[in-house]
Amino acid sequence: MVLKIFFPQCCNKADSGLLVGRWIPGQNSAVVLAVIHYPFIPGQVKQYIHQMRGQSGVDLTVLGSWSMPKEGQEGMESFLRDLSTIFPQGQWLQLSREMGKIGFRCHVLTRDQNGKLVQQEKELKEDGGGEKGGTKRGGGEKEVEGEEGGGEKDKVIFIHYEQRKVMLSQLHPIDNGVPDPQTESQLPQVFGTVCQSEPLFFLDKYDDGPVKMTHWQSEGREGSIIVELMKQASTPVCLLTTWMLTLWTSLCSSRKANIFVSFFVDVSLGLLLVSWMYRENRIGKLANTLVPAADHVAKELEELLQWLMGAPAGLKMNRALDQVLGRFFLYHIHLWISYIHLMSPFIEMILWYVGLSACLGLTFALSLLSDITALLTFHIYCFYVYGARLYCMTVYGLSSLWRLFRGKKWNVLRQRVDSCSYDLDQLFIGTLLFTILLFLLPTTALYYLVFTLLRLVVVMFQGVLHLSVDFINSFPLFAMGLRLFRSYRLAEGVKFRVLCEEPGTPLHLMMDINPLKVSSVVQTYRTPTYSCYPKDSWLALCKKLFLGELIYPWRHKTTKID
Amino acid sequence: MGADSGSGAAPGPAVPWRKVLWERQPFPDNYVDRRFLEELRRNEGLRQYRYWAVVQEAGLVAQQISCVALFLTLWLYMEQGLLSPSTLLWTGLLCALLGYGLYQALAPRGDSDNHHRTRWSDLQSASIFLSFTFGFSPVLRTLTESVCTDTVYAMTALMLLAHLVAFPYAQPSPPGSLSLNAALFASVCLASRLPGDLHTSGGLDSSSSPSSLHTFTMLCWALLVFALWPCLLQRLRDCAPWVFGCVCVLVGVCGVGGLGSLWPGGAVLLAALLGTVTLLCPLLLIRLQSDKDNIQGPWDEAEIQEDLTHFLH
Repeated sequence: MVLKIFFPQCCNKADSGLLVGRWIPGQNSAVVLAVIHYPFIPGQVKQYIHQMRGQSGVDLTVLGSWSMPKEGQEGMESFLRDLSTIFPQGQWLQLSREMGKIGFRCHVLTRDQNGKLVQQEKELKEDGGGEKGGTKRGGGEKEVEGEEGGGEKDKVIFIHYEQRKVMLSQLHPIDNGVPDPQTESQLPQVFGTVCQSEPLFFLDKYDDGPVKMTHWQSEGREGSIIVELMKQASTPVCLLTTWMLTLWTSLCSSRKANIFVSFFVDVSLGLLLVSWMYRENRIGKLANTLVPAADHVAKELEELLQWLMGAPAGLKMNRALDQVLGRFFLYHIHLWISYIHLMSPFIEMILWYVGLSACLGLTFALSLLSDITALLTFHIYCFYVYGARLYCMTVYGLSSLWRLFRGKKWNVLRQRVDSCSYDLDQLFIGTLLFTILLFLLPTTALYYLVFTLLRLVVVMFQGVLHLSVDFINSFPLFAMGLRLFRSYRLAEGVKFRVLCEEPGTPLHLMMDINPLKVSSVVQTYRTPTYSCYPKDSWLALCKKLFLGELIYPWRHKTTKID
Repeated sequence: MGADSGSGAAPGPAVPWRKVLWERQPFPDNYVDRRFLEELRRNEGLRQYRYWAVVQEAGLVAQQISCVALFLTLWLYMEQGLLSPSTLLWTGLLCALLGYGLYQALAPRGDSDNHHRTRWSDLQSASIFLSFTFGFSPVLRTLTESVCTDTVYAMTALMLLAHLVAFPYAQPSPPGSLSLNAALFASVCLASRLPGDLHTSGGLDSSSSPSSLHTFTMLCWALLVFALWPCLLQRLRDCAPWVFGCVCVLVGVCGVGGLGSLWPGGAVLLAALLGTVTLLCPLLLIRLQSDKDNIQGPWDEAEIQEDLTHFLH
C-alpha cells in the first residue's frame, strides 16, 4: 500500500517539531496541517489539540515528528524519537530533512500487538523488489512481512500543497448533502480537512499562545490582515475597512455574492444611463421625437392597408370583403392617431419622471423600454388579434364544413371522425357556407399574415429586451471574477507535478489546483431568475400560427379554474 | 407433395390420413390425399342477369346524366340572356308545387297523422331554404369574381363528375352528402359566372357581376333538380315502376332536346352517351359474365350469416 503524505509547502523550512494533522480513514494517507515547535509541554499540546478538535470538528492528531536539524541542534533526533512514546498513535511518522538536500526521508513506525512501536520500513529504493528492509527494533520478535503479505515494500509519496490556496478553494462539483466520511473519496476529504481546520490557524509561532506552530499564516500574506486590523480596530477608517472585509468574508456563499454583485453592477449601470440621459436634456429631445415617430408608423400602416385593399402582389382578393376589412382597420388607425395627439403635451413630463426610475438599475430601464414599446404598438396588437380571430373562425368553420361535405362528423366523445346522415336543410346550408368560406379564405389569410408578421417583429424586439434583462440578472459576475483573478478558489480537480525523484528518497509531487472551466462556472453559478421563456417549441408555434390561435410567448402558465 | 400415388417415400397407409389439425400423423405437413380440392366451388355467387332488368336499372344512371345536362342547359339559356330570371323563377316555383303535390299524392296510405306534422316541417324547411338563399345571394354573386373563368369551369366540371359518381343510385331518397354538396358547389360556381343586368353595367365591362336574382334563380333550380327531384323519383319507383321507366325516357329526351336547341353537337354527344350507358353497357355486363372465374372454398374468410332484421325496425 502506498502511504501518501500531504505536506504543506509552508512547512518545508520549518524548525523541528511535532507534526499535527489528520489521518484519512481507509485511504492510508495523512494530511499534515502544521508543525508545533520546541519548546512545548506535551500535556499542553494534548490539551490544545483536544480543544482544536472540538472547535473545528476535524479529527486532529499528532501524526509524528519533523526534524530539520540546524547547527547546535544535534540530539534532536533521538529526542523526537522518544516522543513517540508520549503520544499514543497507531502509526508514527518520522520525517526528516537535511539542509541543502531537496528530498525528505520518512520512517514509519507501527504499533504492534505488544503495544510497542516497530519500525516498518526503510526508505524507498528504486529497484524495489522482494527485499526485506524491515529491521526490528524494540522488544519482541515480530514478523512484519506476515502482516504485509510477503515482501511488499511500503511506498511513501509526499504530495506538497499550497495550504492557503487549498484552504480557500471550493471543490466542484459541490456536494450539497452531508457526505459520509467513510465513502468519500480522497480529494474532497483532503480539501475538507484543510478547510475546516481554520481554528487551528489562528495562533502562529509569533503569537503568545500555549504552543508555537508553523502554518500558512507564518508566511505573512494578506490573510493575516484581518488579525492585524482587529487589533487596530480603534481608528474609524480601519473600522470601516473591517466592516467591509467582514461583509466580504461573510459573503463566502458564492451565490449570495453573485446576486449582490450583479445588483450592484446593475444599479451602477442604471445610474450611468440616467446621468447620460439627463445631461443636455436628451430626455426632452427623446420625447419630442416620440410623437412624430408614432405618426410615421401610423402612416406606414395606412399605406400598407391601401396596398392590401388593391391587388397586393397580384393576388386575387374578394373585393367586397377587402374593402370592408380595409376600411375597418383604417378607422382604427385614425382613432389611434387621435389618441396619440391627445397625449402629446403630457409625454415629455411623463418621460422625464419615468426616466428617473432608471436609477434603480439598467434592467429596470430595459423593462420600462419593453413596456413603452408594448404601449406604443398597441394598435398592431389589436389588428393582430382581429385578424387572428377572423382567420381562426374561418379555418375552424371550413374544417367542420368540409367534414359535412363528405358526410362525416366530429365525435366529441370519442375524439374521432364518424359518418353521419344529415338532413336536407343541414346539407344545403352547410354547402352554401362552405362555398362562401372557401372563396373568402385567401382574403382573410392575407390580412392575418400581414398583421401576424408585424406582431412578430414587435414580439421579437421585446424578446431581445427580455433576454438581455435576464442575462444581466443571472450572469454570475462574482464567480467569473473569482475565476479570472483568483482561479484557485474554484477547483475542479488537481494536477500533480514531480518535484524530486531521486533514488533513495521518497517521491515528491506538487499538487496544483486545476481551476474550473469557464463554461462550468457559468453553468454552476447561474442565478435562477423568474424569467418567462417561451413555453412552446418552434413546431408548436408554427402549428398555432397556421391554425390562427393567438400566441402569447411571454405568458406564464397559470392554472385555470373553470 | 401431391397425391399419395407417386413417390414411394409416402409412408404405408396403415393409418388413413385425416384432415385434422391437432393430431400427430405419420404424414408430412403438406400431405394431401385424393380428396384434395373436392370442396372447390367455382362462380358460386354468379347471378344471372336479364337484359331488360339491367337496362331498367341503367336507366337511372342515364336519367341522372340527363338531369345534369338539363341543368346546364338552363344555365346556358340564362347566360345568353334568352331567358329572364324571373320567368325561370316562377316556373321553378310552379314545378316545385306540382312536384310536392304529386309527392303527397303518392304517399303510402297509412299514418295520416304524420302528414300534418311533415307538412309543417316541410314548410319550415322550404322557408329556411328560400330565406337563406335569398340572403346569401348578394354574397354569392361576387364570390368567384377574381377567379379566372377557366378555373371556374374546371371546378364545375369536377364537381358535377363527383356528383354523378357519388350519387346513391340504389336509394336516391335520402340524398348522399357528397353528391348533393358537390352539385350545389358546382351550381354556386356557375351562378357566379352569370352575366349581370345590362342596364347597370356599361355593356363593355366584361366582368360584370350577376344580379342577385340570377343567383337566386340558379340556386333554386339547383335545389329542385338535385335535392328534390330524386325524392320524387324514389317515390315513383316505389309506387309505380312502369311510370318510372317512362319518366326516365322522358327526362332523357328532354335533356337531349334542350341541349340540341343550343348546341347540336352536344346533343348528339349526349344521345350517344345515353345510348351507351343504357343499352351497350348492360350488354357488355352480361357478355362478360361468362368470363368470370371465381373460386371459393373452405379457405375463405368466414362470413357471418346472421339474421339482423330483428334489430331493425
